[in-house]
Amino acid sequence: MRRLGPWQIDRDPAPRGWWVLVVSLGAIASAFLAAGALFWAFGIGPARAYSTIFLGTLGDARAAPEVLRQAIPLLLCGVGLVMAFRAQFWNIGAEGQLLAGAVAAAGVALFAPLPAPLVVPAMFAAGFAAGALWGLLPTLLRLKLDVNEVLSTLMMNYIALFFVEWLIHGPWKGQEQRGFAYTDTLPPAAWLPLLPGTRVHWVTLALGLALAGGLAFLLARTKLGFEIRVLGQNPTASRYAGINPLRTTLVAMLISAGAAGLAGVGEVAGIHHRLLAPDQISLGYGYAAIIVAWLARGSPLAAVLTALFLGLIFSSGDVMKVTLQMPFRVTDIFNGLILFFLIGSERLLTYRLRRVPRPAPHATAVSPGPERQTGAGIPEETGVAESK
Amino acid sequence: MRWLTLAAVLILVGSLAVTGGAQQKLKAGFIYVGPIGDYGWTHAHDQGRKIAEKMVSGLETLYVESVPEAQAEPFIDKLIQQGARVIFTTSFGFMDGTLAAAKRYPNQIFAHASGFKRAPNMATYMADFYQVYYLNGLMAGALTKSNKVGYVGAFPIPEVKRHIGAFALGVRAVNPRATVHVRWIFEWFKPSAAKEATEALIAEGVDVFAFTEDSPTVVQVAAKRGLPSFSHYSPMQKFAPNHVVSGQLVHWEKIYVDFLSKVVAGKYTTENLQNVDYWWLLAEGAVEVGGDFGVPVSPAWKSKLQAVQVTTLDLGRLSVHDLVMKRLAQMTDPKVTFDPFTGPIRDRKGKLVVPAGKRMTVGELNTMEWAAPGIVGPWPKEP
Repeated sequence: MRRLGPWQIDRDPAPRGWWVLVVSLGAIASAFLAAGALFWAFGIGPARAYSTIFLGTLGDARAAPEVLRQAIPLLLCGVGLVMAFRAQFWNIGAEGQLLAGAVAAAGVALFAPLPAPLVVPAMFAAGFAAGALWGLLPTLLRLKLDVNEVLSTLMMNYIALFFVEWLIHGPWKGQEQRGFAYTDTLPPAAWLPLLPGTRVHWVTLALGLALAGGLAFLLARTKLGFEIRVLGQNPTASRYAGINPLRTTLVAMLISAGAAGLAGVGEVAGIHHRLLAPDQISLGYGYAAIIVAWLARGSPLAAVLTALFLGLIFSSGDVMKVTLQMPFRVTDIFNGLILFFLIGSERLLTYRLRRVPRPAPHATAVSPGPERQTGAGIPEETGVAESK
Repeated sequence: MRWLTLAAVLILVGSLAVTGGAQQKLKAGFIYVGPIGDYGWTHAHDQGRKIAEKMVSGLETLYVESVPEAQAEPFIDKLIQQGARVIFTTSFGFMDGTLAAAKRYPNQIFAHASGFKRAPNMATYMADFYQVYYLNGLMAGALTKSNKVGYVGAFPIPEVKRHIGAFALGVRAVNPRATVHVRWIFEWFKPSAAKEATEALIAEGVDVFAFTEDSPTVVQVAAKRGLPSFSHYSPMQKFAPNHVVSGQLVHWEKIYVDFLSKVVAGKYTTENLQNVDYWWLLAEGAVEVGGDFGVPVSPAWKSKLQAVQVTTLDLGRLSVHDLVMKRLAQMTDPKVTFDPFTGPIRDRKGKLVVPAGKRMTVGELNTMEWAAPGIVGPWPKEP
């Protein structure tokens, strides 16, 4: 607690929605300002840079759908990560889970003798299962042996990456690729339909939107959702309430990893039509989805917006490279700046500024919280300190 | 409403002005798979682009670096919006995207490096190193004392296998007892993996190095132990002047200048590229032997190569240095009187892969999977 004249800074146990929005938008605006300075240093006026970016992405009939296309894997991974983060499980492994889904989808399409109409559903089912399986191991390690999931999920990404490399250089290497490291092209039955005139594989997009809606409902209206929320906010309290932490975390994590697996299916069946080098299957979507989930602040529906936003950032990088002839790292820098300012602004959410006129010398103890009831009577140290 | 109309008119006029200006000049767009600072494949293409811009009058160029394989099409869209009339895509993975774009833009010209699919408005081109690797192999075979030559390979794909094969044939041509030890790193650019592989090869007793990786790491690690090496793709002699013996250099500009001049002259159109396939080697000047431009053999190693004598069937007894120069002259000759992949050649399992008197065709070279005799180490997809 600290006084600044008539103002007092103290902990804010539950920041209000509008304040979260203001701080998040402020952080993004700061990132844009900082990036603007970078453009300026590069010899391009920020105003010109941003208008070029806008015209080259949303203001262009052929480029605008590309924003949507890049948002699809970000949405699926991001919604999944929202689930995991709500259960206080820090899943950094969406990238690997996406690759696992991609492998399963390619495997089904190349080798499973299925009638044509069943191929795509089977690919999605296998992709979800493979992603979930990839997430299962770090979940069990955390639940049974208390292994830090940040490290184990991250490491699983590398295993997935090298597994894909091994497949495309070894047993799955295609006959028709002149020895280059790709599988053969998937049969046409495994190709997802595209929105006419675009490269948007709408089936995956619809899946992502449905998943966002479904998970929002699950969190808000079902017993499992309630359990996940309580577990995430206070594991000790959840145990007293009779919530099985093993089962709840496991379910949240399987959904999370499975969703990332679906994203992998979409990339393989909708875009590449074959399995190829892991850094070509996913352009770091599994990692960028962490920003998607963070920006969404625990809401699966908000993830739809934040995924579109990140899709826009990815597309903006493409415009900057071509139209402004900037170096390729510019996208990474843009993403990095946004994450930097978002995490930096997090502090602003845990504190609030209140106007508390200096009390008269004889009335010391009473300081009524004028705005809200929440947290007014809770002593500073025992508030729900870790609220996200 | 008035504002909207005004804005629409402005945009229309603006875009007309842009395309109007573009028709005066020829704009070419380049799509790169890696960063232009990689000191290998993409850097070399970018050097070629810059030289072509100077040499072809009226040429203006645009480029995009580090383009993911699936993104070729959207980037082609953007380059064409910028007024590009010729598009070069410089990685095998861009093949299908380039072909799809060529169908969508029948009025633009496309050229794809290292692929095999063409269209009336899409050509293919490649500058290949296998002859240069053979010359490097001759020198390596003469210089090894342990009879173990090392090769750090990027990916076990036909291109790299062909290069290691030619290198091993060269090594064996002057030193039948020598072996070529191969380590794969499964990356095009990864200095840490290249360093590890080089150190592992040193531990195996290897004392001369060649490699496929887009950084001077192998050269530097070998030089630290005082061991000679052959530079790859870019002039790396300056990184270890006393230890780089020779190497492989590329001149993509030869192809770019030739191609673009023919576009300017109206020889190449959007209708006659179906059979245009550049497969350019030493004779066309698209590749060069050496660790730096104009230096086929480093002066520091010349006398050592002159001291080693070998006997050949066609040239008799001569020093390895002279042999390298003779073979270079034969392959630079427009008639190409020598080629390393001339039969009879058996693979390392003893199977006859090139019959006596036959030369491997471009198609065979492009799909080559067998390992030449003397190669030691894993060889994925070995027939």
